[in-house]
Amino acid sequence: MMDRALLWLRWSWRDLRQRWVLVGAISLVIALGTGLATGLGSVERWRVDSADASYAALNGHDLRVTLAAGSFARAGELARAAAGVAQASGIAAMEERLVVPTQIDASHDGATVLTRGTLVGVDVGGGGPAIDRIAAERGRSLSAADAGRPHAVLEASYAEANDLDAVGTLRVSGGQTLRYVGHGRAPGSFVVTLPGGLWVAPGSYGIVFVPLDTAQRLTARPGAVNELVLDLRPGVDTLRIVRGLEDALVARVPRYGLTVTALPDEDEQRILYEDARNDQEVFNIFALLVLAGAAFAAFNLASRVVEAQRREIGIGMSLGVPPRSLAVRPLLMGAQIALLGVAFGMVVGLVVGAAMRNVLETSFPLPVLETPLELGVFARGAALGFLLPFVATVYPVWRSVRVAPVAAIRVGPRGARGGGVAPLLKRLPGGTLARMPLRNLLRAPFRTGATILALAGVIGVVIALAGMVDSFRATLDLAARDVQRGAPQRVLVDLDTFYPASSRQIEAVATAPSVARAEPIVKVPAEVRAGGTTIDVYVEILDPESELWRPKIVAGSFRRGSNGIVLAREAAGDLGVTVGDTVVLRHPRRVGANAFRTVETRLPVVGLHPNPSRPLAFLDESRRSLLALAGAANGLTVVPKPGRTVVDVERDLFARRGVVSVAAATATVNALDDQIDSFVSIIQVAEVAAVLLAVLIAFNSTSISVDERRRDVATMFAFGLPVRAVVGVSVAENTIAGAVGTLLGIGLGYGLLSWIVHSLVPESFPEIGMVVAVAPGTYGAAVVVGLVALALAPFLTLRRLLRMDVSATLRVVE
Amino acid sequence: MLNDVRRYYGTGDTAVKAIDGVDLRVDEGEFVVLLGPSGSGKTTLLGLIGALDTPTSGRIVVAGQELTGASRSELFALRRHTVGFVFQSFNLFPGLTALENVEFGADVSGRSNARAVAREMLEQVGLGARVDHFPHELSGGEQQRVAIARALATGNRVILADEPTGELDFRTGVQILSLLHDQTHAAGTAVLVVTHNREIARMADRIVELSSGRVVSDGPPPAGRADVSELHW
Repeated sequence: MMDRALLWLRWSWRDLRQRWVLVGAISLVIALGTGLATGLGSVERWRVDSADASYAALNGHDLRVTLAAGSFARAGELARAAAGVAQASGIAAMEERLVVPTQIDASHDGATVLTRGTLVGVDVGGGGPAIDRIAAERGRSLSAADAGRPHAVLEASYAEANDLDAVGTLRVSGGQTLRYVGHGRAPGSFVVTLPGGLWVAPGSYGIVFVPLDTAQRLTARPGAVNELVLDLRPGVDTLRIVRGLEDALVARVPRYGLTVTALPDEDEQRILYEDARNDQEVFNIFALLVLAGAAFAAFNLASRVVEAQRREIGIGMSLGVPPRSLAVRPLLMGAQIALLGVAFGMVVGLVVGAAMRNVLETSFPLPVLETPLELGVFARGAALGFLLPFVATVYPVWRSVRVAPVAAIRVGPRGARGGGVAPLLKRLPGGTLARMPLRNLLRAPFRTGATILALAGVIGVVIALAGMVDSFRATLDLAARDVQRGAPQRVLVDLDTFYPASSRQIEAVATAPSVARAEPIVKVPAEVRAGGTTIDVYVEILDPESELWRPKIVAGSFRRGSNGIVLAREAAGDLGVTVGDTVVLRHPRRVGANAFRTVETRLPVVGLHPNPSRPLAFLDESRRSLLALAGAANGLTVVPKPGRTVVDVERDLFARRGVVSVAAATATVNALDDQIDSFVSIIQVAEVAAVLLAVLIAFNSTSISVDERRRDVATMFAFGLPVRAVVGVSVAENTIAGAVGTLLGIGLGYGLLSWIVHSLVPESFPEIGMVVAVAPGTYGAAVVVGLVALALAPFLTLRRLLRMDVSATLRVVE
Repeated sequence: MLNDVRRYYGTGDTAVKAIDGVDLRVDEGEFVVLLGPSGSGKTTLLGLIGALDTPTSGRIVVAGQELTGASRSELFALRRHTVGFVFQSFNLFPGLTALENVEFGADVSGRSNARAVAREMLEQVGLGARVDHFPHELSGGEQQRVAIARALATGNRVILADEPTGELDFRTGVQILSLLHDQTHAAGTAVLVVTHNREIARMADRIVELSSGRVVSDGPPPAGRADVSELHW
């Protein structure tokens, strides 16, 4: 028994060695599939575990109470109110903060670093914040000794991206100088999001942690706070506390228009957790597609090997060997190829895993990174990597042992294989050589189909991967065109609160030396609800007929006196409304100098704008009354004077009191664009892997074709056809298969991309109404990967053709 | 014409002398059978004449063209324009119909109106009604007739047939040889047929018998050329 097993093993091993190049190539395909599945398979777990560990290590808040923009409470007021609610026993600790937008000038050594940012004033009384602790990465964190001093800790990714030293100085809005004593990370700044939740490149938006009293002094708001973070006791019902807190706080301090957010609803959490899940879903599909390609390649090889062993199987049958025993040898070979592939795959998996670890360190620089070798994921990937190609060999083996022995050992004309589906195309134009490629493909429909599908899988991955970047870029282009329309140099100025239009703060901006024109605007966060769906919006109140800038309207109309709201086309789609329908706007309404109450107003949708930024919504100036903000503004749209740049305006307005942010209208688009740049290299690596895969698939397919048709080739040589003509037939054959595979792959990739854009992106990035776009360059890459790789593959077999023993091959009887 | 042609495989004591000093001359319109047991060098000799292989030494001239020292491309050109092959296992292109297989022969040899030539050849071999059939839809005899039509369609002056009846029953084999014989005489083509079947060899104008790579006899069939009806099966 043992001897027989060893014989089968030796025999199948010889079969492998006989086709070692092909076997190696297919093993590599399996390895790439398995490696991608295992290497990418751990990413979600790593991201989730790292995020969990980071929040735990820095005591991330469980709940956050935020006041409406422009509202400020007295220090202690929010904490006292929260402590008095019925659910207070579930609260372990609370800390008040002052969080305000700011402008940061961290220019150094001749490099201009002038960006938007957030000033986060935290309680350092107990030696630094106890909730959302700051982990110093360079320099030191804040301590009790920093209280009241102009000391700060810079968010580490921002500092790193802008090449800032561990300690140094920077200026914030109002022109005041701070000394930063270190770089650090804290919950809430693990990923850099703009107010509104857009995830941007870390170098484009800075977070400056300062002692609370320093923040109050810098913003000229002594004793003011606008945020409360809470740490809950383990095991409490968070949702119940959120509801209780919301109701109680609204009742106790109604004038702040406050909202209570549980940690899982924070933008950062969405990016860290939901995006991790969605990314993993995409990774899994890509890995499966590649593995499917490997399975098809294994199927091709197994079919060919079984075909070559047809007579041997027949001889075995004649000798009375049961079919299941005859199946052992080719199945063993399939298993060995799969095992070899899996073994290589584990190495590829480790390499991919290491690459992903680097990506995580760059894109999600959490203070605690948990990236252990996930044995379970590797075991699952290995099982899949083994099973898929192995199962692919079962069918041809099963088919081969089911034929009658006499048919299996028959040689010559009666043993000749059929013409596949070639008879379907009896009439073809051109000479005999021109007809051969298509007929050859049709002769082996299974192999042709497997090659085409394998290639389509790879092309699909290329299109979907690169298409994601293309779609992001196309979306950003759309947004950039919209915000720049009519005023390419437009600059948005944010004020720290609402000021009367005639105030000196607004006057100072409008009359600044670099400013040509300025228009006051109101911007407030709000919610729009319709039919049970609620979306977050940023409502901007402006003049619909402004010559400086006004939104483009693609449906309905938006004029002076319009009594309704203009929504983003995508947002309207999400809400299931269109022009003329009514929505409920939940918005702040001023009830005092620095006090707001949240109210609901029913409004008709009067127009839709095409900007892909979902939250952008507009109201006419006449609707200021809804917010009780008649004659007030918390921002301006300005245009620089001729010859002046956006940076001139930024510098000009930097030190002006009340100004917290000055940025080009395209700043957000640019920050997003920079963020995408950081992913392009990953996409390029994936594209290179795809090209390699396509070449391997092409080589496998061509190699098998040459092997199978060596007598055809020898006959052509015997009739004096030169090598180039024979290769030409192969090239034409592969070109046809490549074209079909590429077209299928483009369709598959586009479908996959549409699914990602329409199903996954809205979950991870609800702010962006992404459009599906594939750039010509991406199509070009797909053609290069599919068509060119396959068309050129026959040249890899040139050596074999040149060394062919024509006489011997012509006499071979299969 | 072959002059002291040798083809050795390997070197030294272990060298296998597949062809060992063969001199041979075949004229136009001659139907020559190369006879001999397995391993006598018949197929090797055919390969050398057909420029599929190169001799270790000696001189080969086919249709006035010197093969010795010819470049690879010259050998390819010779095969295209001078030689036509018929193989034991037919070697038809499975992806081409009978007509297209024959057309291929006419195509590669550069004949104009290849399709018409192919049709004519298939008519001649009695397959006018099977032109659109693929090889797997034809019997062995029919496939070999297509192969002969393909070789004839080249219009080349030399036809080399390696065991063309090896895969066929005796009766079909005789029909195939008869066909080759008639066609070649009509076209004035030199035909060399390799076989080990002495009965079939009786149809030849001349029998060249090989043994261990050497010509051991060369001449007309001992009892004179036999007609198809005289052969025993």
